[in-house]
Amino acid sequence: MFFPREMTEVELIIPSKDLVPVTKVLSGRGVFHQVDSAFLGLESLGPSTWQDKAANYSTLERRLQSIMQTLGLTEEQKGSTEFETIVDIESVRPAVDRIEGDVKGVGDQLGVEKKRLESLEAQLKQLEPISHLNFEVGSLRKSDHVHSILGVMKADTKVIERLDSIRVPHVLFELKRDAKDAVVWLLGSKNNSDELERAAKSAFLNPLTLPEEFSGTPEQVVEKTRKAIEESKQKIFELETQLGKLGGVHKTELQKLWWDAHVSRLIADAIARFGQLRHTYVVVGWVPTADMALLTEKLKQASREILIEALPTERSGHHDNVPVALLNNKWLRPIQELVTTYGRPSYGELDPTILVALTFPILYGAMFGDLGQGLVLMLVGFLSHKKIFMKGLSSLGLLLVYCGFFASIFGVLYGSIFGFEGHLIEEYLHFHFEPLWLSPLENILTILGFAIDAGIVILLFSYLLSLFNMARARDWAHFWFGHTGVVAIAFYFCFLTILNGLLGTTPIAPKIAAAISQLPLPFNILTPVFAFGVMFNGLFRNIAEGHRPLIEGGIVMYLVTAFMDLFESAISMLSNTLSFVRVGAFAVAHGGLSLAFFSLAGEEPTIGFWITLLIGNIFIIGFEGLIVYIQTMRLHYYEILGKFFHGGGMRFEPLRLNSSQEEA
Amino acid sequence: MASGVTGYAAISTKVRAMYSNLLTPQDISRLSDSPDFPSLISSLKNTQYGPYLASLKDNELTPRRAIQQLRRRLADSYSSVVQMSPEQTRSLVKQLFRYFELGNLKAVLRSIQTVSAWNPDVAPWDRVNEVLFPFGSFSTLPAQAMVEAGNVPAAVELLKGTPYESTMSFAMKRFSAEQNLFPLEVALDLDYWRRLWAEAKKLSGLDREAATKIVGGLLDMNNLMWAIRYRVYHKLSEEEIINYTLPFGFRVRDEDVRAIAAGGDIAAIVSRAFPSIADVNTLLEHPQAGLPKLEVLLKRQVIRQCTAAFIGNPFHIGLPLAFLILSDLEIQDLVVLIEAKSSAVQDDDFRSVLLKTSLLN
Repeated sequence: MFFPREMTEVELIIPSKDLVPVTKVLSGRGVFHQVDSAFLGLESLGPSTWQDKAANYSTLERRLQSIMQTLGLTEEQKGSTEFETIVDIESVRPAVDRIEGDVKGVGDQLGVEKKRLESLEAQLKQLEPISHLNFEVGSLRKSDHVHSILGVMKADTKVIERLDSIRVPHVLFELKRDAKDAVVWLLGSKNNSDELERAAKSAFLNPLTLPEEFSGTPEQVVEKTRKAIEESKQKIFELETQLGKLGGVHKTELQKLWWDAHVSRLIADAIARFGQLRHTYVVVGWVPTADMALLTEKLKQASREILIEALPTERSGHHDNVPVALLNNKWLRPIQELVTTYGRPSYGELDPTILVALTFPILYGAMFGDLGQGLVLMLVGFLSHKKIFMKGLSSLGLLLVYCGFFASIFGVLYGSIFGFEGHLIEEYLHFHFEPLWLSPLENILTILGFAIDAGIVILLFSYLLSLFNMARARDWAHFWFGHTGVVAIAFYFCFLTILNGLLGTTPIAPKIAAAISQLPLPFNILTPVFAFGVMFNGLFRNIAEGHRPLIEGGIVMYLVTAFMDLFESAISMLSNTLSFVRVGAFAVAHGGLSLAFFSLAGEEPTIGFWITLLIGNIFIIGFEGLIVYIQTMRLHYYEILGKFFHGGGMRFEPLRLNSSQEEA
Repeated sequence: MASGVTGYAAISTKVRAMYSNLLTPQDISRLSDSPDFPSLISSLKNTQYGPYLASLKDNELTPRRAIQQLRRRLADSYSSVVQMSPEQTRSLVKQLFRYFELGNLKAVLRSIQTVSAWNPDVAPWDRVNEVLFPFGSFSTLPAQAMVEAGNVPAAVELLKGTPYESTMSFAMKRFSAEQNLFPLEVALDLDYWRRLWAEAKKLSGLDREAATKIVGGLLDMNNLMWAIRYRVYHKLSEEEIINYTLPFGFRVRDEDVRAIAAGGDIAAIVSRAFPSIADVNTLLEHPQAGLPKLEVLLKRQVIRQCTAAFIGNPFHIGLPLAFLILSDLEIQDLVVLIEAKSSAVQDDDFRSVLLKTSLLN
């Protein structure tokens, strides 16, 4: 629950005779993440023939796809059980050849006819704009003084303007234009024919090539072309009808052939990455430990002589090569999306999804505390999750529900409902609703101080999680001397006592800092000691990890850098701690914004009053709700996750026969 | 439609965090001190590129594979910026990302033209795939099928339904006549930049201002270098240069490009557009060596412009765009280092083309 799914490294030795059934089991269950183990094979056996087989299946699959495309058939994926064994290409080739023979002739004719139609339509499009002119089409080719280029170019005003801007004397007529093409006529002196030709060519103006058989005026040519187009369309219709009939005849057979070729290709691809020994194959990969027992049982059913070595992988230590399968809980999916946007946990690392699932809605609720608006947010989230309303936000629907829920709870604590607080509730809503805890607007400094205290608790918790992660990874150098290591945490405690000294008895002084200051510890000695530790953290890490040289660059430069490290640590501790003030500040701002709408609405409960408040509430839910969401996200990404979560895990991508199979 | 503070709060936070993970000029300088390729890679493993290089075993770590892995980080950055950017700017970011798909398309077409000269023992696709940018699910290119199609017209047929279909349909007539990829590549480049500029212009307010500045900076560099190269290297005519360049930009105006096309003083034009580049005349005395240096100087201008985007109001698309461009230029520096270290190039020969270290001065 707090970690990615436990993985087991699996090594299989498969007898050659059982290769395909075993691969079918591995690919069919969607739980096996393959590792390329071709390098484990014997080189003396030469290159794997499975790569060629995979290429052949791929070619066969594409041939079948091409036939199906010609017939207008779609590829239908089936269940992994609807597949016996990989197909023998030679045995299916006659069937494919036969169907292709039937289809190809008609398909090719259709292709040729469509090209002819396209060409005729292009000619018509070029000729229509000049159809009213009375001249001999052939004369374009025979002019003595005028160089003329009639053709089609891209219908892009900027390209046409560019052609028209050449310095050679010319005239450019744009005769016709549609979304894609423009018919233009470029005319100039015969003396400049080279320049004109170069300009036309470089502007990708494709000159009209009128067939020699077309003679007469444009009107006559247009008439002939239209007739040819009608004939061509009729022929295309006949050929398409013929293909439709062929599709009906061959549909079932083609679907089966394609599925067999498709699955055979996937299996051959997988086998090509196995290590090939003389009579056996070596397969390496990862399986979620929970799925291991069932997979082992199925593998044993597929091959009695298979050797299975399963090595459950502990989460401690470094595991860069272990794929990470996250828990697939639909209720946590939006939170998981938030986390994976920041980074995918690595195998040994805590998956912060559960923590974020708690802190995100709570911090959001604390900033947006209002019973009525929280319930509306919940409703919007629910409708969006069910794709009834605001479908585009459906992936965030559940997150809105959680945030709305906590906003409602804080609304009860703050005594706020649709912006009404205190006496306003009794005056306008006619019932009593006291804050269960406090009203942010009336206790501004108290809530700001409380927010800082809450921030300190969260930060300390994040530091502890970081220690936990580093201890699990056995990264002792960083555990003690990292930016979030023991020395840094000890310095943070000392820093809090300094902060307490600075803020003194002011209402925003964090109570936790005051409590720490009361501890019977010599902070005036500890503070410089741990400051020294933070300053030379890098040096201590180098000593612990055995890195040499211990100090890079000159000693003076190193001391300057070390001092800057200390300064930066202190500044970031201060900013991280005070960053949580925003939680209290937004709770206050929320009440303030509501008051602003009350001022606009006036005092009399007229229709205008209620409409203003309605608009105000919609604005607050939409606008402030979004800003609070961003602030909550910022707190998590910068202040919380950054402390202990590194990410960088490799995605678990199991072999699958059917692309619609769910991720394990 | 989210914009301003509401639209950019999340993405600007994320981009700022990612920006802080970019290598500093000092980092690049330290990396360039690595004695050889293995030690460079081992230093890189201690940077944010570490997780991308960790998946490669030592025996697989060739310079080409290492570069491919580094580019995966850029692809991931694009992917996360695309997902987080406000809806109205998403198509601009996607179009910027398409630059790498355009590169892949050109690589595929070039491979088809040259495949006959390759070692027949290695499947063409395997060789091509090694050099393609890892574009991932954003790709619309049927790259493998194109390579396997075996000839350019058949490969171009496969582009039906992609954003390249229309441009290619016009340019293919010239390819058929000339059997040269130049017109196809020019048409693709021009179309890419026109679309990118149009996307930037489609925006409004601060977004438009920031986008035209950042995109315009990149466009200026390309447009200027095209115009100069067409004139100096390819000796193209005025009308061809005009048609093969773009009439818009941020600092480089249409008049500048036309002046270059008409035979005007290139140094004066470059100095007017980029007053901070000194000694342009000297650079252009020997174009063969000078033009690559000019390109490096222009890229450094882009870096400065992108870095400046992080100062001031962060709630616009300028920040994500600047970050993505900086990430790309950082990888260009790393590619220089990898190639230099793996082929034991002398220090002086590669340090001068590093982009980011110029910020140290």
